[in-house]
Amino acid sequence: MEGGRPSPYWPLFVGPYGAYLLLFLVLPFVNVALLSVYLHSPTKIAVAEFTGTNYAKLWEVYYATLFLRTLRLSLLVTIGCAVLGYPLAYFLARSTSRVMTLGLLLLVMPLLVSTVIRVFGWLVILGSEGLVNQGLRLLGVRESVRLLYTEGAVILGLVQQTLPFMVLPVMAAVERIPLSLEEAARNLGASWAQMFVRTILPLSLPGLVSGSLLVFSVSMSAFITPALMGGRRVRMVGQQIYEEVLTAYDWPGAASLTIVLSVSMLALVALALWATGRRARPKRAR
Amino acid sequence: MTSRPPRFLWPFVVVVYTLLLAPLVVVVTVSFGSTPTFDFPPKGLTLHWYRAFFANEMFVRSFFRVSQVVGLLTALVATLVGTLSAIGLVRLRFRGREALETFFLSPLLVPHILLGASVYLYLARLAWPTSSMTLLVGHIVIATPYVIRCVTAGLAGMDPRLEEAAMSLGASRPQAFFKVTLPLLRSSLVTGAVFAFIISFSDINLALFLAGANAPSLPVQIFSQIQFEADPSIAAASALQIAIVGGLIVLAQRLFRLRLMV
Repeated sequence: MEGGRPSPYWPLFVGPYGAYLLLFLVLPFVNVALLSVYLHSPTKIAVAEFTGTNYAKLWEVYYATLFLRTLRLSLLVTIGCAVLGYPLAYFLARSTSRVMTLGLLLLVMPLLVSTVIRVFGWLVILGSEGLVNQGLRLLGVRESVRLLYTEGAVILGLVQQTLPFMVLPVMAAVERIPLSLEEAARNLGASWAQMFVRTILPLSLPGLVSGSLLVFSVSMSAFITPALMGGRRVRMVGQQIYEEVLTAYDWPGAASLTIVLSVSMLALVALALWATGRRARPKRAR
Repeated sequence: MTSRPPRFLWPFVVVVYTLLLAPLVVVVTVSFGSTPTFDFPPKGLTLHWYRAFFANEMFVRSFFRVSQVVGLLTALVATLVGTLSAIGLVRLRFRGREALETFFLSPLLVPHILLGASVYLYLARLAWPTSSMTLLVGHIVIATPYVIRCVTAGLAGMDPRLEEAAMSLGASRPQAFFKVTLPLLRSSLVTGAVFAFIISFSDINLALFLAGANAPSLPVQIFSQIQFEADPSIAAASALQIAIVGGLIVLAQRLFRLRLMV
């Protein structure tokens, strides 16, 4: 960044993707914003007559419950990923390069496989005739336990899927912290826990934040996992949007849902970035 | 290499990896099972479900004609466009550079189901019918930021004075870039391309909307198959995918000493 100099050629470099995003990210959302104030018509899908009914509808208990459940589950998934992912990220960052290579391979491998295949694996494990219930039967439990179609199942599935998104940025952040810093803290008499809390944790916080944001956004967008592991009992916003677009053809309804979800998520992300920016600054001044 | 992670983390690491890998191990095992009821451990071993997979025309087409092709094209375009963008963002200075970087990385934070629905509704307005082409259009949006992140990290970790040194020794700017910077960026580029491929290959939220009814990608095909009639040929499909992409990654690591996604 210091090496940069004012250059007249910058549009050549950033122009292509900039134009592309304008066409296929910004304009689609502008279109959705327009659709969200159009009138829904059972025969013509959407009529260009401005109305607020699509948004008013979202205050109904059904939608409010749906939205709050999605938010709650996503937060739980993010916390779960932080608790499980942080120690693993630290472990990998401080391992020998051979262990780290193997660890990364095993970490990224599940990511390579589509969500739907991973969910299929959970269906085999948690189903009424699945692995867990077969094991319970061997232990003498007669009736099969319903594990699928619960919030726990959806959280488990989402944590398994999003964990690498947490581990990779945290690992990168920890790696950037020189080992000598840890050794210095230990040599000056800090216990491992003291050293960790006072040096590693604050310095790797940016990685934790970007990991959390990734995990959270993937969870909020989840469709396959709640659809297959939560069924009708644990519905999330993704299912509602999918159905309103592709089966109910209530496009203005889906559009208003999309806008509300996008705006609230943007607000949350901005808040998170602002909060960490504020906390990071005085640390640097010290 | 004096570094040693503390020993008390080991049991924890084992538990986390068990959780991460359990669904995959189960799927692969079940794909060799002789019964159609997903018994674990399997009662007998067979390749029957692999034959069933290759005999299923929809599976074969979605795997080779849609998912592989769209994935490779996505990786190609995203790597080109993403690398250009990253160089522009890191090495050039212009007004609004930071805002543009945020904008370029914003697809990472847009929920894929919302993007899929939005692009679908947009294409409907333009009267552009969905097909593998529209799927590619959508996948480039979500895959390019991964390339930008990889290459930006690679460039940021590189001393710009290396290039300046080459230029002071008589190399032109393009020569310095292609002879010094690009070789040093190689592992970042490969990581970015592999990630772009993965993002496209494993995506289902965009594909549900954009792939077109006649040309579902493999994940979409599996999704409808699970709901319609689940049998272990689905497991066979995923086991094949794991083997192919896993092999690719190991190979890439040999060639480029690639450390994935840092």
